[in-house]
Amino acid sequence: MDSTRQHSPTDDKNWERVLWRRLPYPDNYVPPRRFLESLRKNANFTPYTYSPMVVATTSVCQHIANIFTFLSVFIRLKERKSDPRYIIWISILLFVIGYASWEALFFFQGSPLRKDSRSRVMRSAILVFLALLALAPVLRTLTEATSSDSIWALSFSLFALHTLLADYTAPLPHDSHERLTSVLSMNAAISASVVLASRLDSDLSVFALILFALQVFALFPLLRRQLHYAPTAVRLGLTLLLSTTSVVLMSEHSHMVGWIVSLILIFINFVSPAVMVWAQREIRGEWDVAVPVVGGS
Amino acid sequence: MVCDFFHPNIGGVENHIYILSVNLLRRGHKVVAVTHSYPDSRVGIRWLAPGIKVYHVPLRVLVSNATLPNYLTFLPWLRDIVLRERITIIHGHASLSSFAQEAILHSHLFGSGFESMFGWWRRNGEQEESREIRTVFTDHSLFALDDATGILTNKLLAAALNNVDAVICVSHTARENTVLRAQIDPRTAYVIPSAVIAEQFKPPPKPLSTDTITIVVISRLAYRKGVDLLVASAPRICALFPQVQFLVGGSGPKLINLLQMREAHRLQDRITLLGAVDHHDVRNVLVQGHIYLNTSLTESFGIGLLEAACTGCFIVSTRVGGVPEVLPKDMIEFAMPNEDDVVRALRKAIAIVTAGKHDPYRAHERAKSMYTWEDVTKRTETVYADIVKKRPTDLWTRMHRTLRLGPFAGLIYFIILLVECLFFLFLEWVCPRDQIHYVEEDWTMESFKQV
Repeated sequence: MDSTRQHSPTDDKNWERVLWRRLPYPDNYVPPRRFLESLRKNANFTPYTYSPMVVATTSVCQHIANIFTFLSVFIRLKERKSDPRYIIWISILLFVIGYASWEALFFFQGSPLRKDSRSRVMRSAILVFLALLALAPVLRTLTEATSSDSIWALSFSLFALHTLLADYTAPLPHDSHERLTSVLSMNAAISASVVLASRLDSDLSVFALILFALQVFALFPLLRRQLHYAPTAVRLGLTLLLSTTSVVLMSEHSHMVGWIVSLILIFINFVSPAVMVWAQREIRGEWDVAVPVVGGS
Repeated sequence: MVCDFFHPNIGGVENHIYILSVNLLRRGHKVVAVTHSYPDSRVGIRWLAPGIKVYHVPLRVLVSNATLPNYLTFLPWLRDIVLRERITIIHGHASLSSFAQEAILHSHLFGSGFESMFGWWRRNGEQEESREIRTVFTDHSLFALDDATGILTNKLLAAALNNVDAVICVSHTARENTVLRAQIDPRTAYVIPSAVIAEQFKPPPKPLSTDTITIVVISRLAYRKGVDLLVASAPRICALFPQVQFLVGGSGPKLINLLQMREAHRLQDRITLLGAVDHHDVRNVLVQGHIYLNTSLTESFGIGLLEAACTGCFIVSTRVGGVPEVLPKDMIEFAMPNEDDVVRALRKAIAIVTAGKHDPYRAHERAKSMYTWEDVTKRTETVYADIVKKRPTDLWTRMHRTLRLGPFAGLIYFIILLVECLFFLFLEWVCPRDQIHYVEEDWTMESFKQV
């Protein structure tokens, strides 16, 4: 045992990183130069810079602006400031414009959609339209027994879930497989809108709101994801358009809410990337789980 | 020895604790194990040959044999056990074991330092010598520092190891990992590898013929064990070398991938899947192989490599974690964790084995001499001797160190510390010390031999 105490602690010439041989050092010897030699801080590190992050955050901003636009439409319908038929026509118009943009996008990307997909889309759109028309009376009485306060709370949490789980990544061209969380997020948004719609008075307004919700939460996010590949100006322009729409619509009801909405949007889009850029670090070493590379040459 | 993972559960950590306890017992120490109970009536005190007393504490198991971390419900049981058995060293194992972490946190309450501050229970006129409970923690695995589970569990570990006297890690890489995760002083961390009982892993009596080369894989079939690499490289090796057979033992979620690969390449007669292999059968599987393949993506020590080397196999392994430290270069061939390199390493290994350059009996002798349980036990005893000599930390120092953990965690653990002290005082009042049944006589090796 004395042979383990031969060397002075500062002399690590004979220290080796092996276990199969007894080294002439005590077990808790810390080699001054070689301890943590494999530690690499910030190795694979391309730090996030501010401007690309702001552009990337516009997706989140668009989502939130969408939610507020929807809420303002809901309030209008509830307070009977707008005619439900007007909303229905807007929804249909949005659908047509949206589908045309979808086709145009794919066309410009070089992989135009097939002819039968168009007929499929038209068929399912009409089916959904009719199904909603039939279901609207049922949905109106969905939450009769619940008080309004719980409805507001429920819809808030569902919209929060929708924002958190939404898929903000760019879609891969060959992989159109939806992630579970994005399906969940769409479900959360639709549930929130159904729950809110059940507070309305007439069947027609219920139908209008849910149709609008479908456009805004189910179909529009798909289009927005495809816009990831569009030039930055388009993305920024769209974000600006959506944000101003939501702020203007909300301000009609209450100025304070308009201010709050604009503050939220500015915070998310400009302040949080700054915080993120400030807080970056990375720490790696030998102990990390290796990433297997299969399917080589 | 305090750990959630102990017999009757089978595993690497469990084996390690048991064999270490047996060896410490042989050298004259008294060893008591504390673990959780098992639902079918395995509660209370059991004895394991050759004289280890096991306390099965009836606390509920949460998931994968670990109990729910509850800092206070374990305290009454621990207090009773520590006082009854007159324990002087608490040795916790495994970072995922909440029993071990809690035992280390509670250990300071039983010492004479705490008693001198609050102890009304000290019998009058009795001069107790300064008796403190020391703590040691052994960490068996590697954890990442940058994923979400890592960040949370590392903080828990840092809190538990804040006031520990010594930490034992099974490899140099594991020591660096633990030091970083738990933010402890590196000089309190000792590197003591695990060992293997060489008699249980003897090579086959006659050398295997090299007409067919058998590659053995025994592991849990999970992502962490690199099954994807195996699935990718096995067909290529089978195509390149018609004399190669694969023998795969173990099961797990990725068994499907192996079966699919076997179907797709029609290798049913080249790849044999054995399913789950019991621990006592492992040697029988290993002796059938010339080469042992380990494609783990992370490995702190790799006891499987050692067992295979002992049985005389030539090892091919991915160069991850603590694996490069385990065996000398002529007994093991390393590969980077990508498919091409695994194939390259296997080709080289097959060439070495076919040329007869690898002697299984010599490998067994070498592995036997490199890692012995006597050595591990002696080194552990050195750790115990070292820590007994150290000055204990008193309650104020402990409180300061706890507060230094961080703005939130420090405060939370400080509150836990206070509540724990109060709870302990309450327990002293409710279950006074003179009513505890102290254990007067212990098993020793002599009494065991007599029996």
